[in-house]
Amino acid sequence: MTLSIAAEDLAMNDTTEQQVFEIIAKQAKIPVETIKPESTLKDLGIASLEAIEVIFDIEEHFNITFPDQQGANFDTDTAQSLVDAVRLGLAAKAAAGEGSK
Amino acid sequence: MRNPTMPRVAITGMGAISPLGVGAEALWQGLREGRSAIGPLRHPDAERLRVKIAAQVPASFDPAANIDERTLPLLDRTSEFALHAAREAIAQSGLDFSRDGLGLRTAVIVGTGVGGETTQDEQSRRLYADNAARVHPLSIVRLMTNASASQISIAWGLRGPTFAVASACASANHAIIQAAQMIRYGLADVAIAGGTEACLTYGALRAWEAMRVLADDTCRPFSVNRRGLVLGEGAGIFVLESMEHAQARGAVILAELAGTGMTADATDIVMPSATGAAAAMTLALADAGLAAQDVDYINAHGTGTLANDVTETKAIRLAFGAHADRLAVSSTKSMHGHALGASGALELVAVLGALRDRVVPPTAHLDQPDPACNLDYVPNVAREMPVRAALSNSFAFGGLNAVLALKRAP
Repeated sequence: MTLSIAAEDLAMNDTTEQQVFEIIAKQAKIPVETIKPESTLKDLGIASLEAIEVIFDIEEHFNITFPDQQGANFDTDTAQSLVDAVRLGLAAKAAAGEGSK
Repeated sequence: MRNPTMPRVAITGMGAISPLGVGAEALWQGLREGRSAIGPLRHPDAERLRVKIAAQVPASFDPAANIDERTLPLLDRTSEFALHAAREAIAQSGLDFSRDGLGLRTAVIVGTGVGGETTQDEQSRRLYADNAARVHPLSIVRLMTNASASQISIAWGLRGPTFAVASACASANHAIIQAAQMIRYGLADVAIAGGTEACLTYGALRAWEAMRVLADDTCRPFSVNRRGLVLGEGAGIFVLESMEHAQARGAVILAELAGTGMTADATDIVMPSATGAAAAMTLALADAGLAAQDVDYINAHGTGTLANDVTETKAIRLAFGAHADRLAVSSTKSMHGHALGASGALELVAVLGALRDRVVPPTAHLDQPDPACNLDYVPNVAREMPVRAALSNSFAFGGLNAVLALKRAP
């Protein structure tokens, strides 16, 4: 039982990462395989305004809202930090959903 | 370099509606006291918005106080602000446009970033949210970008060149520059010019939120703990006239608009360029016949974003060399917020105050100096000092730079 939940979680997390990377790849117009967790958006050639678009696309895709942060910081964020932010956002959404039941 | 045979340009009236109150003096007094008008956002949709702060014209502002009841229905909030500010400026100038055909020789040029946004938002809401059957029949005349310029023209019978200038956050400075050129080239003896903006609508606020450039605490230009810009609103309107015209009638001259500089970065739609901004400052100095060391004060664009503050600092160093360390530089957006297309006009009130009273207004909320911003930003407290000449910087999204150079009245 415990094992199967862990495996499910892992699968979901993999999917989250994959989806975030695909959104980034689309904006950067690069193959998704070239994105590493430690790549920053800047490394991937994504300028600040495009980074804001990536954030918007991710928010729309997962239907979550990232916390406020000055736009200029986003281009120094890593792909992994965006995946982490999405997981936090999904967890917060799930918690809010349970709270309202 | 300005052709020395061209007329010089005097400023003989100023008026403002700003978050610091009704009137240019209310704005200037607030700024020299270092008083910030940034506060909790007043908005019917506040609960649905993430942005919680703004610099808004006080709720006590009464458009009907100075505008007749037949004109009021024709006005968006942008034009209400502009008409009030124009009335104050024209009264101060003492000009009577009905005499000697002066109305024919007077231009009106008003900058605005987006024009009648309140009207646009209200009527869109009626259509798309309320499924209303019809929109208000005066929507077009309220929202058109030239409405403020046209309403000023009509109110005072001003029949010279009249139009709007739109260049986002540089709109007011571009409008004032255009007005000065009208006088220099002999197309007008007098010009009413400035900027107006009132775009704190639900739609516009959501769009700004999405850009992730808004601060959630306050506006802290040049401070390392800055968190972005704070939106504002208001209008500043000025009376410009040829120096000869002003002196011949014995007008009180507030300052000389001695030079102007305009450039475009031609690089990025939002990220500013130090070289583009520096070139505009250098052009303004040359046009005014000023050497770097003649300037004592710069009213910075100073939005409180990382991108602006560091780039503007570099630009000032590029334009002024070693003299940059002797300049007083302040961002009054820390107090009146970023009024977008009106910001250059509100800031010109600050510069005229500094030249007249020999007091440089401070940069408020500057409590943790940013090592990347290493000029004298006059933190938090105004400074009494001689101000012989000053620059006022406006830099806009789109990479547009417009700089005014002002000298003390002769």
